[in-house]
Amino acid sequence: MDFRWDIVSEYMPYFLQGAGLTIVFSLVAIFIGTILGLFIGLGRMSEKKIISYIFVWYINFFRGTPIFVQILLIHFGAMPYFMNPVSPAVSLTVALTLNAAAYIAEIFRAGIQSIDKGQMEAARSLGMTKAQTMWHIIIPQAFKRMIPPLGNEFIALLKESSLGAVIAAPELMYWGRAASSAYYRTWEAYLPVAAGYLMLTLTLTYLLTKLEKRFNLS
Amino acid sequence: MIKIRNLVKRFGKLEVLKDISFNVNQKEVVVVIGPSGSGKSTLLRCINLLETFQSGEIEVDGKTVHFTEKEINELRKNVGMVFQHFHLFPHKTVLENLTIAPMKVKNLDKNSANEKATALLKKVGLEDKMYVYPDSLSGGQKQRVAIARALAMEPKIMLFDEPTSALDPEMVGEVLEVMKQLAREGMTMVVVTHEMGFAKEVGDRVVFMDGGYIVEENNPKELFDAPQHKRTQDFLSKVL
Repeated sequence: MDFRWDIVSEYMPYFLQGAGLTIVFSLVAIFIGTILGLFIGLGRMSEKKIISYIFVWYINFFRGTPIFVQILLIHFGAMPYFMNPVSPAVSLTVALTLNAAAYIAEIFRAGIQSIDKGQMEAARSLGMTKAQTMWHIIIPQAFKRMIPPLGNEFIALLKESSLGAVIAAPELMYWGRAASSAYYRTWEAYLPVAAGYLMLTLTLTYLLTKLEKRFNLS
Repeated sequence: MIKIRNLVKRFGKLEVLKDISFNVNQKEVVVVIGPSGSGKSTLLRCINLLETFQSGEIEVDGKTVHFTEKEINELRKNVGMVFQHFHLFPHKTVLENLTIAPMKVKNLDKNSANEKATALLKKVGLEDKMYVYPDSLSGGQKQRVAIARALAMEPKIMLFDEPTSALDPEMVGEVLEVMKQLAREGMTMVVVTHEMGFAKEVGDRVVFMDGGYIVEENNPKELFDAPQHKRTQDFLSKVL
């Protein structure tokens, strides 16, 4: 098999640029998705049935349908109401964020519910409000336990961002497809892409392990 | 200080407290004893509304309590609670365990909160543990920190829910010692315990509960030496 390095080097600037955008889309989705997920998770735990029900169905929808379908619905269905022309980059980021928020909401809920009920009682018996207790006592303890499952979610999200290629969001996978269709070559187009994702996920894993260690020390 | 009238508490169909009425006077130490499942812990938890109840009335410090968030928080500022399993905040140092509530609830500034916490830790003999995390403490030390944490809110009443039941035998003494000191200082206390020695020595009044009723209450000497009811006699013959 002859491997055409010239294709790889020709597309390398685009791969790097795409990888950069993959990082940007993922980080934005992780950041906003985590904040959104916290609120959705808290809403899901609300004692008011109706509020809880709304968030249950948010989670059902985004966990129960393929993210591929969600990206298409958001890009071609929802986003045209908000912007014209629709930016694929924005559509992809929105889809990733909303999807991640659903998973992260469940991670938050599991983390919060894993904290001993006595912690809530002790803080409440000292006169702290429910919100103060959540913020100062429960969530900091839950967060430590949430790091490993959050790590899984972040890695999944980073890989799922490759679906942006189908709506022409110019992330890493998009340039793989571009190289492939320009030269009708598979290895030269997708091996560098695979290597790129692997480097990104390994870096993320490394950072999460460090974070986990730091939290375990304190 | 505490007036309870006709308190009824059910968990589903199970009636745990059946028409309980009793009072606690200022500076009084009331010890509640009785077999497991008699409702004594539930009664204690009702006093600071960690449990809701179906009917009856609870009056604390002259105010009838209602189940609104604001009133509940107001009540709890005056009522300290010590739990069987300590429930210290594991992600906070011993000092922070004592300062968080005064700072958040009473808006005390950090310096005065620290100052007060230090004095309280000295009182329970743990000033050298100020900066460690609860994980590194023994059970007895944890419970002393928990008592100091409740005292940091300067409550008028202290509730103890089996404070020594989860401790190794050799650590029971140090916790009881702190409680005795509190009683001597005139704190109003309600103590649910299996420590009959403590009940005899410190209690102004002992309440015996069984099956959701207060069967008998009296001063410790009378109750332990001459119990009136058969159920009290049975219970005491088993534990003494």
